[in-house]
Amino acid sequence: MEHTATYTEAELVQGLKARDQKVFGYLYDHYSPALYGVIVKVLNDNSSAGDVLQDVFLKIWRYLDSYDERKGRLFTWMLNIARNTAIDILRSKSHKLDQKIQNITDAVHSINGPLAVHQSTDYVGFSRILEKLTKEQRTLIDLAYYKGCTQEEISRVLDIPLGTVKTRMRNAIIQLRTILNK
Amino acid sequence: MDVQRYISSGILESYVFGMLPEAELGEIEMAVLHYPEIKAAVNSLQHDKEKFVMLYATPPPPGIKDRLLEIIQQENTQEGNDLLPEELRTPVPTPAKETPVKKLPAAKKSTDRIWKYATAAIVALLFGSVIMNFFFFNRSTDYKSRYRSLIAAQEKLDAQKEQHALTSIKEPTKEPDLLTDPAFKWMKMDGVGAFTGNSVSVGWNPQTQVVYLLAQLMPVPPAGKQFQLWAIVNKKLVDAGVFDGGAEVSQKLQQMKAIAIAQGFAVTLERKGGSTSPTMSQICMSAKVTR
Repeated sequence: MEHTATYTEAELVQGLKARDQKVFGYLYDHYSPALYGVIVKVLNDNSSAGDVLQDVFLKIWRYLDSYDERKGRLFTWMLNIARNTAIDILRSKSHKLDQKIQNITDAVHSINGPLAVHQSTDYVGFSRILEKLTKEQRTLIDLAYYKGCTQEEISRVLDIPLGTVKTRMRNAIIQLRTILNK
Repeated sequence: MDVQRYISSGILESYVFGMLPEAELGEIEMAVLHYPEIKAAVNSLQHDKEKFVMLYATPPPPGIKDRLLEIIQQENTQEGNDLLPEELRTPVPTPAKETPVKKLPAAKKSTDRIWKYATAAIVALLFGSVIMNFFFFNRSTDYKSRYRSLIAAQEKLDAQKEQHALTSIKEPTKEPDLLTDPAFKWMKMDGVGAFTGNSVSVGWNPQTQVVYLLAQLMPVPPAGKQFQLWAIVNKKLVDAGVFDGGAEVSQKLQQMKAIAIAQGFAVTLERKGGSTSPTMSQICMSAKVTR
């Protein structure tokens, strides 16, 4: 990376609020792969993801004053912006829940889809990690996080009771945590 | 709140992974602020999520960063502004101004109407309240006066009861005392002339000067008239007070005026309230004090 300096989150926030473009450059270098990954996963489409990423970073730059350290970390905040922006675009494209579900089940079932793209990158190993989750657990997390489905929608789509959605989601995350921390 | 149960319910996972409807987000944010354990749980879940997201991290196509920096450098110029996504653009004078101008009167109108309704409602409430106040005040004063008259009646009854009790006690106990008290000189006076057959008894205590009279057999005097007792002192009659006649008082000791010296007593019929000097033609009876 061209920036040798590393910043703590507090320094990043301070620098961004002071409209420091160097800090903004650092922020991009550091977080763009993660945010881009989210956008690609939500949209299931590489062609428009770059434009969306650009919008997301402009939002971060412009809305930074509304970021509240007490509510969460900067990365969490930026992830929310990326996810929400991408999901808004997804919704504006296809309002139908069915279509949304089709996208995600495609993504889950055909591991050669967007996942294959990631596998070809140097971020290998993640799919093997996620294979330790059951298919249902992966679907659950993907529907919730990447497709913006509410519990009610998931309950309807997977045809399981609302209470069960919560407990299964919790179990999935616990499983995910043990896998991630290995 | 059962924090452990809340944490294990799965709601925090749903929150962090964006599954909750917006209406439920406020509840979680409140819980995070109030319970450090919940805050810690959410924080750790966010770390999990970040790790999870990093699994999908992908380097974006090149060129985006340079474009971004370019846009940022020009963001304060018109051209830079145009490069921004529509929602991020600084409002351009013409279209931006029109919307608020259009919106303002509409907003004002609706608040005006709300205020009108609110004022009408308040006035109606006030009016109703005044009427109710008047109504209840009247009712309460009515109750108050009825209560007062009840209390007065009660007091009157109590007083009467007390009097009855007193007299009933007095009559059997005091009378025999007086009648048998050796300090009292009792003399029975029999009627003369028109009052033949009538009689009174007079009891006098020369030490205490107390005089009692028992109108044992005396008629109710004619209207406007009253019997009067006189003490005979050195052949002169001294007023000893008026008394009642009739069957009702025949058993009742009537206390007369105090008399210091008396050789005898006499009764005359006088005008109501008594006279200062006796009408000698109306002497009913007389008696000498026995030695």
